[in-house]
Amino acid sequence: MAKKKTETTNNLEVEQIITEMPVEASATEMPKTVTLDVSTDFDVERQRKKQRAAKITQNVFVYIFLTICAVLAFLPFYWMVISSLKTEPEYRQSNPTFFPHTFQWKNYPAVLAQSDNNGSNFWQILLNTLVVGFFSTTIGVFVTVLTAYALARMNFKGKNALFALMLATMMIPGEMYTLTNYLTVSAMDWQDTFTVMIVPFLVSVYYIYLLRNNFMQIPNSLYQAAKVDGLSDFGYLVKVMIPLTAPTLVSITLLKFIGTWNSYIWPRLINTSSWQMITNWVTRGFSDKDIMYPNKFGDSIYSSESLTTLKMAAVCMVSLPLFILFIFCRKYIMRGVSKSGTKG
Amino acid sequence: MAKTKKTSVEPSEEKVTLEEAAIVAEEMPVTAADEVAEQPAAAEETAASFGDKVKAFGGKIKEFFVGVGVKTKDFFGNLFKKDKKTKEEKLGEMAVVAAASDGQIETVVATSLLESKLSAKEKFGRFCRSQSGWLFVLPAVILMAVFTFWPILSAFINAFKQNYSTLTGKYDGWGFENFIRVLKGDTGTGGATFIQCLVNTMVFTFISVPLSTLLALLISVALNSIKPLQKAYQTIYFLPYLTNSLAMGAVFATFFAVIGTTKNTENVGIVNQVLQGLGLLPNETFINWLGTSSPKWVISANLTIPWAKYIVVIIYEVWSGLPFKILILFSALQSVNKQYYDAAKIDGASKNTVLWKITTPMISPMISYLLVTGIMGGMKQYSAIVGLFGEQMGIDYDMGTMVGYIYRYIEDGHMGYAFAGSLILFAIIMIITAINRRISSKKVSY
Repeated sequence: MAKKKTETTNNLEVEQIITEMPVEASATEMPKTVTLDVSTDFDVERQRKKQRAAKITQNVFVYIFLTICAVLAFLPFYWMVISSLKTEPEYRQSNPTFFPHTFQWKNYPAVLAQSDNNGSNFWQILLNTLVVGFFSTTIGVFVTVLTAYALARMNFKGKNALFALMLATMMIPGEMYTLTNYLTVSAMDWQDTFTVMIVPFLVSVYYIYLLRNNFMQIPNSLYQAAKVDGLSDFGYLVKVMIPLTAPTLVSITLLKFIGTWNSYIWPRLINTSSWQMITNWVTRGFSDKDIMYPNKFGDSIYSSESLTTLKMAAVCMVSLPLFILFIFCRKYIMRGVSKSGTKG
Repeated sequence: MAKTKKTSVEPSEEKVTLEEAAIVAEEMPVTAADEVAEQPAAAEETAASFGDKVKAFGGKIKEFFVGVGVKTKDFFGNLFKKDKKTKEEKLGEMAVVAAASDGQIETVVATSLLESKLSAKEKFGRFCRSQSGWLFVLPAVILMAVFTFWPILSAFINAFKQNYSTLTGKYDGWGFENFIRVLKGDTGTGGATFIQCLVNTMVFTFISVPLSTLLALLISVALNSIKPLQKAYQTIYFLPYLTNSLAMGAVFATFFAVIGTTKNTENVGIVNQVLQGLGLLPNETFINWLGTSSPKWVISANLTIPWAKYIVVIIYEVWSGLPFKILILFSALQSVNKQYYDAAKIDGASKNTVLWKITTPMISPMISYLLVTGIMGGMKQYSAIVGLFGEQMGIDYDMGTMVGYIYRYIEDGHMGYAFAGSLILFAIIMIITAINRRISSKKVSY
């Protein structure tokens, strides 16, 4: 009896396998000890249903897990937006609301109207960031393309040594050269110009490395074809290589611009009065003399302390361009980022 | 010799092609040149006999070299100028090349021919043209020399100067005093010490990086097992990658912040309320996650562990580290050969076994990559802490990181300490890299 039982379970397992196995495999590789005379006491349909049910429950769990994680990943963004639209008393009430009762849109104009100690307001700082971002991105990409091309396609003495040296610097924490760069730009009296924000960060070894690898993947036959058609080498770079590596170039451009947008340490260290950057602007406190809040006696007072709702409005404004970039260029950004992973 | 010269000097058009051939010859393996050098006595004779050979081959050899010149892409001679030959001519040349099946021996001849033919001036010009790649890398090299190579050198020099003043450039001899003072906390900065920041950084990194990698692994495996909505989930998970760490740090701070009673309202923060709601915290009590009276363990005078604040940082780090890790692991999972899973299915392996015995080892190179880059990034973290705790990094840098403390030295004008601190950071990163090398060579299956 016991023996028979084990045999049936064995058959059951085999049946499970058979349902998922290619036909020829089941025909040839079946162990000889197992017989397939299970049709009498074994219901294939029922078993299949059981499996399907198990699969569905498993899927349900997977989806629940993924949804919880997605909600948690998204929550900070949602909280940021709704907090920026709440009134300060609503934000401070002991039971937080997950949807604003009253939308206080004037939080945004209130933040925009504020100017810092140097008299520069949001628009000035935004302009600073865009100008710095534009120049550092365009010049940076240009330098990156030239260098990557030379390293990928040209032969000159010391090329490999140079490339090895460049890669070696990737191991060294950026802070180590930030210190000397600080001294250098101070010595050059650059502190209050926008060069100071651009020049030290034009070369990014990592992007050179990325683009070089991309260039090297372009087959030689293309170069030969271009030569036959009478194209010069520079023409080949501009007309063939750059279009072919356009996705990588777009990724690099985007990531470089995002880098400028998010730069915080260097602007803070340099502390120029006229070239403040957007991320530094967020760290300051925002108070508002025009928005009145009731105190505990019901009197309206204005608050000189920094208000979280205003800060969240500022945070929203700084994050918005990144979101827009994400929506329109998600493919490029994800590709650029994932490439960095597979190439590392 | 004379004969051979004569054969090679022919129409003007050939000049270009010979130059190309010469450059190709330069690139040839050294052995060919050595062969000639080893038999100087026989050189003349062989050259003469080869000369006949060359003559016999006629234009074919030249065509061969033209072909080689095209084949092995040399950029030097015609970098910015267009090739004047017509398409048909070029194709003809290439056809001849295809026909020619001669080996090294002609190349040797051509090398010796050309070497003897060119004047020193021409040689120099050709050398310059062959080095035109330097023109392309020049901007990057100059910039890196000033802003990368020199600073690294200078950091190693200045860290050992005692009492170095950046204003006057004066210093009192060389030594390890900067390092000793930084590690002892005897730098006159007040507040938390460098060691405190070092411990902070280590704790943040070594808890948050493995945690977020594990979570990312689970999420990517789950993501890989579903079909509908996969793209949508992937997008949502990637969203936090494109954020400003300062801004999002400030948002996280609002989750934990206890807003106090200035307006006669008590808002203990969402996290405390959720914990109370789940019964993990007794009612009416809350944890002061971010404030001055945040709970902490005091280890010694120089070292405290503000664990509540640590939790905040770690949660933020896990959240912000996930997108990149999910992206990498998910794409790694998709490239795993499906046959392994089929084999496992046939063997009746459970889901758990498949995950830990097949999936994880298969993508272990990526996991190890993520751990290493995560730890290296974690060692350099700074702006998120500022977003969470403000520019003072907690109370007088009690939540500081190494990088934050280095910048503090700069802002206080202690450049020598800053250099020493950055070298300590560098050393730690190097040690981690070395350890990783050793481990991954044993454990990671590529």
